[in-house]
Amino acid sequence: MNEQQVYEKVVTLIKPYAKNQEAFSTVSKDSKILEDLQVNSARLVDIILAMEDEFNIEVKDEEADGIWTINDAVNVIKTKIQ
Amino acid sequence: MEFGQSMMPSMLLKPKSNKIVLSFFELISLKIQRINSRLAFVVIGPLVHYLVFKRFRITIENLMAIRRQYKAILKEATGPILVCPNHLTLVDSIIQAVALNSLAGHFFHFRSLPWNLPEKKNFYHKILWRLLCYLGKSIPVVRGASPVEGKKSVEKMHYLLKCGEIISIFPEGKRSRSGFVDDVDYSYAVGHLLKEFPETNVLCLYMRGIKSGGFSNFPMEGENFYFELKLIKPESKENGLKKVRDLSKQVITELKAMENNYLLKGSHANEAVGW
Repeated sequence: MNEQQVYEKVVTLIKPYAKNQEAFSTVSKDSKILEDLQVNSARLVDIILAMEDEFNIEVKDEEADGIWTINDAVNVIKTKIQ
Repeated sequence: MEFGQSMMPSMLLKPKSNKIVLSFFELISLKIQRINSRLAFVVIGPLVHYLVFKRFRITIENLMAIRRQYKAILKEATGPILVCPNHLTLVDSIIQAVALNSLAGHFFHFRSLPWNLPEKKNFYHKILWRLLCYLGKSIPVVRGASPVEGKKSVEKMHYLLKCGEIISIFPEGKRSRSGFVDDVDYSYAVGHLLKEFPETNVLCLYMRGIKSGGFSNFPMEGENFYFELKLIKPESKENGLKKVRDLSKQVITELKAMENNYLLKGSHANEAVGW
């Protein structure tokens, strides 16, 4: 799975939890998950758990703490599926 | 039991990060806040009791039994206690405080008055509210805080629990707009805390105005509150964030069950007891 595919999958996983659906028209790797997409912190946990299931990986607490943007999430996934 | 003096064997407290990283100033500030709160309680306590029970004529069903149960729980529970109430009005913490112990009870056993975690933007914009929160054993928290701010708040909670203090935290993370326990879109803050302190007891507290109930800013004058307490010790075999989610879910599920129990009862004792 290449980086673009991971990115697209991550966006798909975030979408159901985002309050700001309009932001997806301009979403990018630099979009902040909590601020720009208005995902609350509990739902960010749900998204990370969904990522774990989707990519069959385990995200450590400290790695989860570092996920602020979509790019952060993509980078965590990339390092684990390589 | 005085603040700063651990009331439980330290082995009961096993935070993931064993070290409290609060600065000396922050630790001293918490101790001073507790002393100031206790001193101010001489004035604020009777005032709050007067406002709740006399001015607004709030009554609480089976008040004495609730207080006896709370006292017994504090006496018998081993390990830290986290009070987890449902959340419907802006003054739930106040109603909860006056219900759980008498004026004298809170003053002589100041630990029984739980610490609260009000949302900073709701209560800290006016100096009077700020002062009352400070004197009312509150630690402001910021929703969607940065990791540094969030960690600082969690560290304070860790420290308080370690000192044998009781913290009240709304497991839903917000007031339920539907008027019922939100078991879908709730916070995982409780799960994070329980994961850090696996020996923590959770005192689930279901409260609801019998006359009007539901979501509102303030309870109606003359409201009669239903209270139910249940002590649980959530445990999970999961790891990481799955554990956080699992522990949070157990607390919410218990609160939902208490709510269903309340709704199933339908009728309540006719006699409510006031101050």
